[in-house]
Parts: sequence; C-alpha cells; structure tokens
Amino acid sequence: MAQLPGQLLDGFIRGLVYVAIALGLTIVFGMLRLVNFSHGAFYAIGAYVGLVVAQRYGLVAGLIAAPIAVAVFAVVFDRVLLRRFYDKEPTAQILVTFGVAIVVEESLRLYFGGTTRTFPIPDSLSASVNLGFTQYPAYRLALAAGIMLLVLAVWLFIERTDYGLIVRAGVRDRTMVQLLGGNVKQASTVIFALGAALAGLVGAAASPIYSVDPGTGFSFLVPSFVVVVIGGLGSFWGAVLGGLIVGELQSVTTLVFPAASDVVIYIAMALVLLVRPSGLLGESEVIRG
Amino acid sequence: MKDARFYGLTALGLVLFPFLIHPIGGYPGLATQILIVAIGSIGFNLLLGYAGLLSYGQSMFYGVGGYMALLTISKFFPDHPNFWLAILLGVGFVTLMAVAIGALVVRLYGIYFALLTLAFAQMFFFVVFKWRDLTQGDDGLQGISAPPLSLGFTSIDLTGTFPSLDLGPFGNLSDVHYWYAFVALIMLLVLAFTRTLIRSQFGEVLGAIRENEERSTFVGFDPRRYKLAAFTIAGALTGLSGALRGLYETSIAPDALTVGTSGDFVIYTVIGGVKTLFGPLVGTGLIMYMQNVISAKTDAWRLIEGLLFVAVIVFLPGGILGSFKRKRARTILAAAVAAGPPDAPSRAAAREAAP
Repeated sequence: MAQLPGQLLDGFIRGLVYVAIALGLTIVFGMLRLVNFSHGAFYAIGAYVGLVVAQRYGLVAGLIAAPIAVAVFAVVFDRVLLRRFYDKEPTAQILVTFGVAIVVEESLRLYFGGTTRTFPIPDSLSASVNLGFTQYPAYRLALAAGIMLLVLAVWLFIERTDYGLIVRAGVRDRTMVQLLGGNVKQASTVIFALGAALAGLVGAAASPIYSVDPGTGFSFLVPSFVVVVIGGLGSFWGAVLGGLIVGELQSVTTLVFPAASDVVIYIAMALVLLVRPSGLLGESEVIRG
Repeated sequence: MKDARFYGLTALGLVLFPFLIHPIGGYPGLATQILIVAIGSIGFNLLLGYAGLLSYGQSMFYGVGGYMALLTISKFFPDHPNFWLAILLGVGFVTLMAVAIGALVVRLYGIYFALLTLAFAQMFFFVVFKWRDLTQGDDGLQGISAPPLSLGFTSIDLTGTFPSLDLGPFGNLSDVHYWYAFVALIMLLVLAFTRTLIRSQFGEVLGAIRENEERSTFVGFDPRRYKLAAFTIAGALTGLSGALRGLYETSIAPDALTVGTSGDFVIYTVIGGVKTLFGPLVGTGLIMYMQNVISAKTDAWRLIEGLLFVAVIVFLPGGILGSFKRKRARTILAAAVAAGPPDAPSRAAAREAAP
C-alpha cells in the first residue's frame, strides 16, 4: 500500500484530464441536447497540432496553437455540417458526429502515420518534486494546476458573462431564451468552440504524459462518456465530480485488482445509467430522446 | 412482392453473387464473408431501423458468439467436436445474454440507450481481453478448424469445393467452397424470417413504438416487451453471424468485441438503408467489397469509408435502398397527381350540366 498516495495522485491528474475533456461534452449537451461523438477528435487534433508546433517553436507556442486550431475546426464543422442536425433526432446526431470522428482519425493517420508519438517535456519541467510521500514529476503537477485554473476560468465565464447567462438559460429553456431575444445560435457556436478548444488544449498539454496516436481521440472519448454519464449529462460540476471519480476509480483498481482496472468504470457507468440515468449531479428531468 | 417472386429472385441473386463479383475484383470467399457479416447487419437493422434503437454494443454479441462457437470445439467438447453444437451454444449463450442485457437497456432512450449498450460491450471486451485462461487474451483463439457439417445420413466438409467448371469471366465453379452454399442457405432463411417478422403485427407495433411510444402505450401495447423482443432477436442474429465468422475463419481475436466492430454494423446498415429488408445486406456487401478492392491500392480506405458514411447521412438519410424506395413512392404519387383526383371529371360534368 506504499504506492497508494502516488496512485491517488496519478488518478487525480488523469481525472482532471477527463474533466477538461468532459466539460466541453457536457456543456454542449446541456445547451444543444447534442451528443458529440467527435469530441474525442478535438483532443486528438489538439495533440497533433501541439506536437508539430511545439517541436518547432516550443511547448508554450504549442499550447497556444492547439486550442486555436481546434476552435477554428469546430466552428467550421458546426457551421457546415452540425447545424443541419440540431433539430434532428439524437441518433442522427450521434451518427454524423461518429462519421466525422472517423474522418478525423483517418486523416491524422494518413498525415502523421499510425505510429505512437511522444511529446518532449521542456527541461524546466522535466525535474521531479519531492512531495514528502513520493517523488513526483513536476510536469504533471503543473498540468494539474493548469487544468484546475482552466476549470475555474470556464466556470467564471459561464457564471459571470452575458454569454454564460444565455448558456445557462438556454440549458433550462432554449425556446424561451430565443423568444426573449437571446442569440442562442451564436452563443451555442461560442460554447461549441470553447468546449472544443478546451479539449484541444488538454490534448496538447496532456500528451507529454499520455502518448499520442491517431486512435487517441476514441480512446479518450469513451471514458469521457463515462465521466459525463456518472456526473450527469449537461451538468458542469457533474463533469468535474465524474472525472475525478473515474480517474481515482481506475487508479485504485489498478492497485487493488489490476485485471479489473479497465472494466470497473463501465460497470460504474452502467450502474448509474440504470439506477439514476440523470447522473449524480444532473437534474432529474424525464430522460427521453 | 409476392412470396414466390421474393424467394425466387433472392435465391437466384444468392446463387449468382459469388460469380458476379469475380470480374469486378471480388472472389467467392469474400462473398461468403459478406453474407456472414450481413446476418448481423440485418439483425441490427431490426433495432435501428424498425425499433429506432441505436445500439453501440452489437460487437458483444458478435464477438461472444464467435468465442463460444470456437470454445465449444476446442475447450468444452474437444473429444466430440460438432458443428451444430458449436452454433447452438454460440447462439444460445448470446440469446441469453441479449435477454438479460435487453431487460436492462430497453428502459432507456436515445443517447442513454446507446451509451448503456456501449458500456456493456466494453465490459465484455475487457473480460475477454483479460480472461487469458479461457480466451488466450489478445492472441485470440487460433487455428480451430470447424468439424464437418453432419446431416445425419452424411457429413460435409464445408472447406471442400464444387467440381471444376470454367465460367469464363466469372471464374470457375471450383472457386466456390461449400461454405458459401451453406451460408447462402442461412441467409435465405434469415431474410425470409426477417421479412415475415417486419410484415407481422409485431413489426407494425415496433414501428408504432418508434414513431410515438406514448401513444402505443395508450393503445394497449407494452413497448418494453416489444423492444426486448427486438433486442433479443437482433442479438441472436448477430451471435449467429459471429459464430459463423469464427467457424469460417477458424480464429477469433478480441478486436471482434471493440467499439469499432459495433460501429461497422452501424456504418453498413446506415449506408445500405435502414428500414429496408435488403439495405443491410447491400450496405455490408458494398463496403466490404470496396474495402477489399480499395484497401489494396491505398491506405486511405478508412478515410473514404468515413467520408462516404457522412455523405450518406447528410444527402441520403434513408441510405442507398431507402432513397430508391422514396423515389419510387414519389413517382407513384406524381403519377397519381398527374391523373387528377378521381372525382374531378364528374364534378366538371355536373357544373356543365348546371343551369
């Protein structure tokens, strides 16, 4: 059990990465009732853009370029394709975003090759820090701090700005906001781009820890669904809580019963869906459609 | 379509299929693979097309069906390997699985249904992946040849081929293994079964539930029981597909249980056309054929498949066959409109007759 504190910290950081990905997924669902199977692709695009830019101009440039590139991609995707599907049934939305996810993954594979890439960690952050109970890589701690700040910033954006107001109201009653003159369409594009940029930024920032390959998008997408389902689809703090639960659940099970470390989160997801489909912090509306 | 015409044309198509794909770069073995996978797609269409349920977990039925069939031969009854028993245990186990999982998932709708089926499929994937003693983990089960097909009076080795007969551009009769004939016969039965099912009251109630579940409840139907039945039948057909695939390939690996496999059933069915009897078969055939021909030439095959899938969803929401059907319906409607309302002449006559 000597590794327990270190494992818990690993789980916490992995959980924070899930939180950052899941936030975009959950806000977009809350606002647009849109389930985005291509959200994992945003993470992957961010990772590759970050990788390319960071190799040439350094990590900071990579961390700036990744979210911008992904946000641009998301806006184009939203305007050209996704908008047609806002009012369609959820299965059509799932299908089209699933298709785009395949297209993105395969484009990345063609362009960058199928091999796993690793991201260089800058020298200033490659040291490890003595935390008393364990030696811990400085980069991971910096990542954790960065994501916590990001979550706070997104929360402030939603709570304190006019866009945030429209978003929060739009989650409650989209039609009413439109009737009152709120520009839900524009706000939803902003939110969609924001969620995508977040996933892209984390894709670049987390890749020095978790290596990158074209399938990265799907391998982070599926656990992100687990996160938002456990927390409650559409709930901001639900995504935060769900992410941390999933991260810790994986870490602790790895220690206690390694064979079950992958399966345990899906069992948790199924239990939540069956017992309380609206999730731990989701509002218990009628779950239909 | 009248029954006799349906059976005649379908049987004819199945007989010609392995020869017709020869001149365009296919081969009879591919025809066999297409029919086997299409059984699963047809089952999936019962869910997505007729019941309106998008399952992202069909891989669990496909994969477990394959594993159970091969394990029956290699592990459960190694002393008395029996083809029928392998199929029976594969399909039987998957059917029980589908009943148990179905009873839980039919309570959910839309995205929640999709995610719960995905969660179950992931569980089965990791169980198969980690249970090395039984499944050999990521190596999979290899080199388990199917026993001959016993028919009571005789038994047939399905890997045998038909006698040699040159068919010119369509290859040679001896290219075709008995496997194809066996699978084609099963396909005919599956199509006949599905056709009967969707034309029955069961099929109509399923459609009513898809369109308006609440109203179907008011009329007195229990939607969950119908959806559970559809889920179970779809699972059993997908299990049959997986069992046949395992026996045909003599191997199976955990990738049969991945999200990607579930996604393949979705892609095949949507491209071919949901809510049509032959759509899933056409979609499976088209994509597997294209994959075979194109992937030999370029690495971009999966990209092309993804683009095709998105294009179909955007421009042909009914899939290839669905759009044909709609066009035909529109032509009939147009003809009817051109002919004018049936009572128009008499009314005109009445107006003329009026003072």
